[in-house]
Amino acid sequence: MPAPVSNRFLDPAVLAGISGLDLIAKTVVDGFLAGLHRSPDFGFSQEFEEYRAYSPGDDLRHVDWNVYARTERAYLKRYRGETNTSTVVLLDASASMGFGSKVTKFEYAKYLASSLVYLAHLQRDSAGLIVFHDDVANFVRPTSRQGQLMRLLHGIAEAELGKRTDFVKPFIELQQFMKRRGVTALISDFFEKPEVVVKTVEPLRFRGNELILFHVLDPREIDLKLEDGALLVDMETGEALESTPDYAKTEYRQKIQAHIEELRTKAQAAGIDYFLLRTDRPLDEALREYLTIRQGRM
Amino acid sequence: MGLTSPWFLAGLVALGVPLWLHLLRQFKRTPQPFSSLMFFERRVQSSVRHRRLRYLMLLALRLLLLALLVLAFANPYLMRSTASQTRRKLTLIVVDRSFSMRDGDHMERAKEQARKLVRDLPGGFIAQVAALDSHLETLTSNETDRGALNAAIDGISAGDQTSSYGELARAVRLLDKTANMQIEAHLISDMQQSSLPANGFHDLQLEPGTALFLHSMAEPKKENWAVESVTVAPQIFDPKTSRLTATVAGWQTAAATRQVSLVLNNRTLATKSISVPANGRAQVEFLGFDLPYGLNRGEVRIEPHDSLPQDDSYLFSVERADPRRVLFLYAGGRNREGFFYKAALESSANVGLLVDQSPLEQAPNLDLTKFAYVVLSDPGELESAVARKILSYVEKGGGLLVAAGTNTIRGGTVPVTGERLSANNAPQSVGEVDAQHIELAEAGRFENVRFISNAAVQPNPAAKVLVKFADGSPLLLEERVGEGRVLTFAAMLDNSNSDFPLHASYVPFVVQSGLYLAGASDVPSSLVVGSPATLRHTKSETTAADVVGPTGKHELSLSDASNAMSYDLTQAGFYEVQSASGRRALLAVHPDRRESDLTVIPDETLDLWRNTGSNASAQKAVSGQTSMTPWNLWRYVLLFALIAACVESVFAVRYLKEERDAA
Repeated sequence: MPAPVSNRFLDPAVLAGISGLDLIAKTVVDGFLAGLHRSPDFGFSQEFEEYRAYSPGDDLRHVDWNVYARTERAYLKRYRGETNTSTVVLLDASASMGFGSKVTKFEYAKYLASSLVYLAHLQRDSAGLIVFHDDVANFVRPTSRQGQLMRLLHGIAEAELGKRTDFVKPFIELQQFMKRRGVTALISDFFEKPEVVVKTVEPLRFRGNELILFHVLDPREIDLKLEDGALLVDMETGEALESTPDYAKTEYRQKIQAHIEELRTKAQAAGIDYFLLRTDRPLDEALREYLTIRQGRM
Repeated sequence: MGLTSPWFLAGLVALGVPLWLHLLRQFKRTPQPFSSLMFFERRVQSSVRHRRLRYLMLLALRLLLLALLVLAFANPYLMRSTASQTRRKLTLIVVDRSFSMRDGDHMERAKEQARKLVRDLPGGFIAQVAALDSHLETLTSNETDRGALNAAIDGISAGDQTSSYGELARAVRLLDKTANMQIEAHLISDMQQSSLPANGFHDLQLEPGTALFLHSMAEPKKENWAVESVTVAPQIFDPKTSRLTATVAGWQTAAATRQVSLVLNNRTLATKSISVPANGRAQVEFLGFDLPYGLNRGEVRIEPHDSLPQDDSYLFSVERADPRRVLFLYAGGRNREGFFYKAALESSANVGLLVDQSPLEQAPNLDLTKFAYVVLSDPGELESAVARKILSYVEKGGGLLVAAGTNTIRGGTVPVTGERLSANNAPQSVGEVDAQHIELAEAGRFENVRFISNAAVQPNPAAKVLVKFADGSPLLLEERVGEGRVLTFAAMLDNSNSDFPLHASYVPFVVQSGLYLAGASDVPSSLVVGSPATLRHTKSETTAADVVGPTGKHELSLSDASNAMSYDLTQAGFYEVQSASGRRALLAVHPDRRESDLTVIPDETLDLWRNTGSNASAQKAVSGQTSMTPWNLWRYVLLFALIAACVESVFAVRYLKEERDAA
């Protein structure tokens, strides 16, 4: 059965054919939201929560006067999460993110980042962006001012791959940019030891700040297949190494799976949300999963 | 190393095919960018190197396989010395044990030489010991133990038989074909000339590669005396007419006088002195010597003895007996034949046969066993009782002569044998005569004998035709019936239908055939060692026979006593033989007098024998000299190619499996 038209556009390979991250973000999020209307189980938990009967002492500013006018009874509107949430997207632009078969991991990460900031814009949250590789390559301060969305999308679009030989180094610098409490989304391929990754990103979860790890991996990185006599060149270090199909089929797959599991376990143990995103998965699925988990946590 | 077909090396061009295919499929090392190598290990590279090594091994094996196939077709060979061939050597030590080896210490020296050969055998030897006389008897199997060989040599002793080098050569040829080893034959012998085959040198031919070494025990100019022969009638009926002639011979001897003694039953009857010329012969005669009735053991002895005393005496047996009776049965009251036959048989001295004539009608009343043989003169058709009586007599060993005349032709069959008869009235003469037969030896060829009419006999398949008419029909037939024998004469024994009694051949024929039927010629006065003694003529005769040897021992086993047809007389001395028909005989056996001639084979002849055929090269090989012969290697090359193909298959299967797994 063919997928709905709106869903078809959410395929990363299809999105790659659309020029302009704003359009991509709009396509993804709008399509995603349209899908949510068909689902009675979903809703924006960050906004309207419930009505409650007024009782003396309650703040009159929260009385819904429209309801009072229709029913002559005073009800209070209850909200959750309310407005002052700040969303910061940390986009890894290291060289390894340039790997991909149909869509590179970096492109996929850009779509994801765009979608997140667009989603934040729709909620009128302040949103920010930090692009980093060896150093911080670009920083857009989180705000909800007019034109912030375009600045963010422009910053994402202009991001270019750099080099990195040390995963820890850029995060030491990142500390100074992270002042406001909110949600931090870190999009990376995390090619580092899981304990190092968790130990490095753990400080970002300060004062109740929420940290979400989006682990972006290409399908070929998970289910690696090699031809005979393959000479592999590390995209970050330039180091070359010969490998065999047999090794790729057995030991490599075991190691990458073990790496993913260990990263997931250690992140969850540290109270950090973790999402594995394969670049062949539609983006709305990733968002849906993300929001489901977010809802569960709130 | 060389190549028989070097042009096949052009096939080496085919080596380019696997080379090209493998080069096309060489490992491609296309660099592939990959996000991170943190999950890869350096050790993987070693397995890649191993794999590449296997790939190159596969290529090498395929190249090797093709190269070996091409080389096999080119048929390579190596020149190598015949001495280096891997064929194992069998040393055959042959000791002559013929009668002549009794001379002096020949046998002891021969055995000592054989032991020396055993001592000198190289390490890892394979050897056999054999003894040679009239045939080659191997005394050991292929032995590697000197003790066993020496034990066999110790057991050899000189016998009484002749030696035959032709038999030795035949046995060595056979051994060469069956043993699949290089034969090195050592013959230790006195190299008697008489041991050479009579058929010429061809019988001495040895197989190529057989080395023959001759170890002579002979002494130059070895003289020897011997009683060469003794002639005496085996039966003597009247001692006054007894006569014995002995021949004394000397080989390589000077003229000398010898004392010759006649010994009978260990008693010297007479001694005479004779002069024997140098390297010659002389005869001595003993007449009218007396001897007791029965079987007597005789010996003619010369003195003084020489180094080979065993041939200085000559054994013979002689029987003193009364003349035997012959029953002449005639039919129809007509007895002209009896007249002629009796006159002829009794006219010869010392025949010992007297004729009793009787009408056929009296036959049932006569005891046939008293007669030496029976003559049926033109009997016609016999009454059944008479026929059965005569048949029974013959089957138990009796003799029968049937003269087939008009009456018998009318009856249609020959009595006893049952051969069919018909009349032939055309005059004819005798055509073919078997002069070798003992009963016809003195009868001549029946010259000028004319037969006006005769009986045309259709011989039985078992019958032997001894004399034929000019038209090919038989005149005289012999047939064995049981233990006895029957002679059929296809005419009358008188002059009624032929002039045979009027010719000179009649009397010898009657006497010889009479002696033959009486069995007088069955037991000669002396026999040569190796001759057979007849024990029975038919297998159906199961009465036990008996042979008592020179040592007084019964020579036959129970089985042989009831089954054996004959017995080989292998030792010199007197044998007492009782045949299945119950007849007893004393047989005197003496060594073949050829063994007494110790003349040695000339060295040139011995050299010729050593070098028979291509033996010369073998001799050289044995003596350390070598000759180069090509050794074809294509079988080995093909074997290596097969091994390479198997290994290639294993490598290819493993390699393909890896490729499949990788895919």
